[in-house]
Amino acid sequence: MFPIYLGVIPFAVAYAVTARAAGLSVLETCLMSLLVFAGASQFSAAGAFAGGAAGLTIVFTTFLLNVRHLLYGLSLGREIKLSNPQRVVSAYFLTDEAYGIVMASGERSFAFLLGCEMSLFVSWNVFTLVGALAGSIIADPTKLGVDFIFPLSFTALIVPLLKSRTDIIVAGISGILAIVFSKILPGGFSIFATGVIGSLLGAWLTRSEPPAQPNLEDNTREVA
Amino acid sequence: MSLRFEILLVFLGMCFVTFGSRLAGLMLRAPLPPFWLRFLRFVPISVFAALIVPAIPGDQGQGIMRVLTSLLAAFVAWRTRVLWLTVLVGFGTFWVLKLLGVHA
Repeated sequence: MFPIYLGVIPFAVAYAVTARAAGLSVLETCLMSLLVFAGASQFSAAGAFAGGAAGLTIVFTTFLLNVRHLLYGLSLGREIKLSNPQRVVSAYFLTDEAYGIVMASGERSFAFLLGCEMSLFVSWNVFTLVGALAGSIIADPTKLGVDFIFPLSFTALIVPLLKSRTDIIVAGISGILAIVFSKILPGGFSIFATGVIGSLLGAWLTRSEPPAQPNLEDNTREVA
Repeated sequence: MSLRFEILLVFLGMCFVTFGSRLAGLMLRAPLPPFWLRFLRFVPISVFAALIVPAIPGDQGQGIMRVLTSLLAAFVAWRTRVLWLTVLVGFGTFWVLKLLGVHA
């Protein structure tokens, strides 16, 4: 999963630089990464602090951006056997990337999930600190096109999941919906809305199929 | 090193709604009817497509290049199913085109 870090690290640095520029202290910049641990909403909050937005507005935007994690939790909760404390711990560190890696791998264990999650949490926070301290000395990493690594990584994660014609139809329509929604809704919320509509479509298209197995068939491959 | 109380409150609010969303899905364990089990089967497909497609063009005016190299990367993913190779071929091709002066 090395390329995933290449996608995450520059954004932790870029977030920290943005937050410092918005007037947050080094401690505040790092604390947000520790408490929230959600890239897009941290970026938007940093921007909102700079613009003097009200606290409640920032919290509500964060909710819209992050409510998609509800879908990841619902999905993971049925894939992996977890005790209650394990559910709480894995919920705190859940991200797009960790969910993506777990779903694309054949591995279904708490240890593997937490390992993916924590490796991302540690990288995100270490490089938040690096960015907060180094500040504007570092060139804007997004100029190098590293933001392209994120869609490329997820392309590698989605392709093996596309096994039937319905899967491909759902992916195609979700892609189109996401483009439309991303023009009119906050980024993370457009992903949530697309996820709900796309999955409803999939469930409806497969209404004549026998009940689905809760586990995807074992299809271990080299994603990690 | 300073920590303002009102900023800490905003962080705690952000933490609450984010952790809440992450936890709510994981804690819900009621048995689901078949329709919703099939719904969950499509969640990764639909969400990944939603994460990928709008992120491809980028905002540096290299949309066409990035769409074409993404298609190449998807082909590599389909044939090899290897994450690092997919990213390497996609990002590598993008950079080679950039260094050749292509800007589209």
